[in-house]
Amino acid sequence: MSTISNGPWQKNPALAWREIDDETVIISPTENVMHELNETGSFLWKKIDGCRTAAQLAALLAAEYEVTPGAALADTEALLQQLVSSKLLVPAGTATSGAPR
Amino acid sequence: MSASHATLGRSSGQQFELSIGRIPLRLHVSDARMLSEASERYQAFASSQEEPFAIHLKNSFSANGGSPEFAYDFEAQTAALRAFSAESQFIGAKNAYALDSLLRILLSWVLLRHTGFLLHAATVVRNGRAYVFTGSSGAGKSTVASLSPPGSVLTDEISLLRRENGEWRAYGTPFWGEFRAAGSNSSAPVAGIFGLRQAGENRVEALGPVGLLRNILPNVLFFSGEAAANQRLLEILGQAVKEISGYHLAFRKDKTFWEALPS
Repeated sequence: MSTISNGPWQKNPALAWREIDDETVIISPTENVMHELNETGSFLWKKIDGCRTAAQLAALLAAEYEVTPGAALADTEALLQQLVSSKLLVPAGTATSGAPR
Repeated sequence: MSASHATLGRSSGQQFELSIGRIPLRLHVSDARMLSEASERYQAFASSQEEPFAIHLKNSFSANGGSPEFAYDFEAQTAALRAFSAESQFIGAKNAYALDSLLRILLSWVLLRHTGFLLHAATVVRNGRAYVFTGSSGAGKSTVASLSPPGSVLTDEISLLRRENGEWRAYGTPFWGEFRAAGSNSSAPVAGIFGLRQAGENRVEALGPVGLLRNILPNVLFFSGEAAANQRLLEILGQAVKEISGYHLAFRKDKTFWEALPS
């Protein structure tokens, strides 16, 4: 069972990110760790806007990549869980701050 | 390289002007001993240029109106930096080592507006091009420098890279490594960035942009926790890794590693 909340998600405001080639690179100033997302991860990352929920993101993924809604939701929740664990993603409305690295 | 000189003993206080990576700086130092130490330490980088970034060495912070755009405090609170758009205050710097540290921290921030960054790296010029060897302590930066011809080493510790007129150039800096001597105040277009690892044989492996970024990121000097500054740094690094060739270099501790490098 997923532990991802049904509410909307936002990128951690303290981090920096950009696309390089087909990948998305995310850097957390607090940990100086570089995270890399593949093509579908990058697609979802760019759709995270502080308003969309996991279900809404999964629907976009299903439409873009022609996967079943069930598979899309499972993949989306897995990615969001990973991003939350790495503190790259927070519930919408959360204020965060960075620190020197 | 242009002729350079120090400016000393103005009535408003004592000054020393220098330039690092073509960033003009002017130190305002009231303490004669500190001025003497700074003049000696940065003599090779002494230079007078227009509109230098003013650095005031002080015992305490003076607000001068407005909040600083960048602030940094040492953990032990022995020294601090407060930077504004065109000037900075170094507070509590009692010796040349503290001054050196604050200068590196300030430069890492000033370089954001010049599409540049500081990298823990030795840089060696060969056939007019800069070979930048990066790695953490013990990776072999000073070893590479010691195996290179005299006069070819821009720095064995901290390189300054910046994009000028569509090309990336590497500059020497006055920040010391094991050579215990200031780097060279000159530059050359970058031939490539090489992530170092000492090994029993020489081997070069090309890196893609993301691989190069992964390699250099732990060695980039940066001290701001502010999101916009970090985003700007990532934009600069992203441009650098797309435009500069990157490699892993496993190397043996002798001069034969040069034969393995791409020309």
